[in-house]
Amino acid sequence: MHLSEQSETMVKALTDVQKQMWESWMGLMRTVPSGMPVSPGVANQWRDLATQALKGWTTEGEQVAKDLSQRLATTQDCVLRFLELSLSSWNAVAPKVEAGEDWHAVLAKYIEQVREQFMLSPQGMQKATQDSGELWGLYLEEWQKLVQPWAMSLQRAPWRVGQASTGDGSALVELMNLYGNAYERTFGRLIESPSLGHTRELNEDLLKGFAAWMDYRQASFAYQVELGETWTRAFEEFIRKLISQTEKGETVQSLRQLLFQWIDVIDQVFAKVFRSDDYIRLQGHLLNTAMTYRLRERDIVEAFLKTSHIPSRSELDEAYRRIYHLRKDVKELKRELHDIKAELSSQAKRKPAGG
Amino acid sequence: MQLPFYLSPEQTMRELIDLNRKVVSGIERLSHIRDKDIQVGVSPKEEIYREDNLVLYRFTPMVEKPFHIPILIVYALVNRPYMVDLQEDRSLVRNLLQQGMDVYLIDWGYPGRGDRWLTLDDYINGYINDCVDVVRQRHGLEQINLLGICQGGTFSLCYTALHPEKVKNLITMVTPVDFHVKEGVPNLWAGCSTGGQTMDVDVLVDAFGNIPGEFMNLGFLMLKPFQLGLGKYLEMIDILDNDEKLLNFLRMEEWIFDSPDQAGETYRQFMKDFYQGNKLIRGFVKIGTKTVDLTQVRAPVLNVYAEQDHLVPPASSIALERCVGTTDYTLRSFPVGHIGMYVSGKVQRDLPPTIVKWLRDRG
Repeated sequence: MHLSEQSETMVKALTDVQKQMWESWMGLMRTVPSGMPVSPGVANQWRDLATQALKGWTTEGEQVAKDLSQRLATTQDCVLRFLELSLSSWNAVAPKVEAGEDWHAVLAKYIEQVREQFMLSPQGMQKATQDSGELWGLYLEEWQKLVQPWAMSLQRAPWRVGQASTGDGSALVELMNLYGNAYERTFGRLIESPSLGHTRELNEDLLKGFAAWMDYRQASFAYQVELGETWTRAFEEFIRKLISQTEKGETVQSLRQLLFQWIDVIDQVFAKVFRSDDYIRLQGHLLNTAMTYRLRERDIVEAFLKTSHIPSRSELDEAYRRIYHLRKDVKELKRELHDIKAELSSQAKRKPAGG
Repeated sequence: MQLPFYLSPEQTMRELIDLNRKVVSGIERLSHIRDKDIQVGVSPKEEIYREDNLVLYRFTPMVEKPFHIPILIVYALVNRPYMVDLQEDRSLVRNLLQQGMDVYLIDWGYPGRGDRWLTLDDYINGYINDCVDVVRQRHGLEQINLLGICQGGTFSLCYTALHPEKVKNLITMVTPVDFHVKEGVPNLWAGCSTGGQTMDVDVLVDAFGNIPGEFMNLGFLMLKPFQLGLGKYLEMIDILDNDEKLLNFLRMEEWIFDSPDQAGETYRQFMKDFYQGNKLIRGFVKIGTKTVDLTQVRAPVLNVYAEQDHLVPPASSIALERCVGTTDYTLRSFPVGHIGMYVSGKVQRDLPPTIVKWLRDRG
């Protein structure tokens, strides 16, 4: 059988397998007590079915078993995705190999294409998000997600924010003008009420938050680029290992064998990268910027909470800190009391009787 | 000419269908499993003492006259201590009981947000010391035996250095001592090679308060992301039709993902002083008002490490020998990884008698 013929047969087989998988998941679905609806769509329906079926089936199950079911379905998904990746590389390479080209060179070229495709995306995203206007829009989208439910709940409350505050909203208007429509569309709507007050501090917090968010996004992209590069390297290493085996006359014969070789190689490549100073710095920077953003985020939330007379995280932490010290003091006093009682008891025993 | 892999369509199809069949039937099987089926911490025990979140347990002795000096097990704050008593045939505790030991265990509980200010001083000079005193008083002893595991081993070392008069013998298991050993990825990630350019512990604690257990877990899973995230579950598919093996797997899963949050200030000091500053072996760690001087550890020490430990590299544990003041130092190792120290059949068979003999020889 020619290579491209093999490849076509393989793709057909995969399609057939997916059909069978779908049928078996449908079978499972029919027995789900809640009778969850089947989602429409042609491609990869079984994946949706898998998710729905295991949700229905494990509704009353134990949490660990539920988690494991989720992982099982994910594992199956990973196997298929891996097979698709292998097949796509096979499809790309097979015709050229059949045409008599040096397959090592063909594979090297293919890997380079994979690398370019993989790396292009995060770089492109990074470039796009260097535009601060766009970044601000994204930032506000994030904020909208965070603030909206909270703001809505406040609006529904009888003691509305607007009635509680005496702040000046004009600075907010200026801010809206400064940051344009994106702000107005998102965050601005939530805080345009004149009720929120303390706007100068809030503006400062928002700006600090934006700066922290930009740092975090940039760190995140740098991290993604490194991971993307590592993925490509891992795939390259995997193919190299297979080539080396082939040259020794050992050919992988089963999907399972192929998968475990891939896991082994990919973990080794990642482990090596994880130990490198460059990666450690990137990971540290990502973590630090994420945490700094979280702190800035808290500052903004707490500004709202303060205006609304709601206790903040910081205030609760401070209360906990005082309770902690009080608890320590009480323990220490109890120990001292215990020692004093023991000493008094000991002294009483030492005194002569009838004294 | 052939490509580096030859997957016959028929065979691959069979494999995928088989995989799918096993996954579907496995999920059906898993849906019938309930809490009571995944029992952990099986050996009978009674609560002896409680303080804040902490509970001190005494396991019911399995011989009429247990060894006169009890063992107090001090586990790590990360993950739960029932790992030492996971199930009947995987229980360090049960094996020690069977060999005549009297065993106590500290369960640290789950720190809440109100516990974020707890410090290492509270854990070591507070909780551990209180538990040691309770056990000493119950048995009318001046000194008891300590068995510290992983981070609990590090705590036990500090405790023994600070309170040498209360510890008869010290056993440390998979215990990090030299935190700048570069074989350990956790050491590297904490910054032992890159210093201040890596994680900023202060901002982490300030942002999180308590460090979430999920965050800690993610770090451990990242050490072998594909084996632990995919390979393990692929292998598990093959045991889905074996109830006993499946329940064993589920117990391990429960333990792995049962990760308490870490009290913020304790985490801050442990990461900065131990991981980043490597102050324990340099003699600069301060717990409360006192500096930990490991040369004050004069009690006999049995140090047990795992030869393939990827969390606490052997060199990190072995470093203990050159730091402690005792002249009675014993080193033992087992050809397993960190988790293998609790669940491997060979370790279950050989470690308890090693501990018991070592203790009896020094009784």
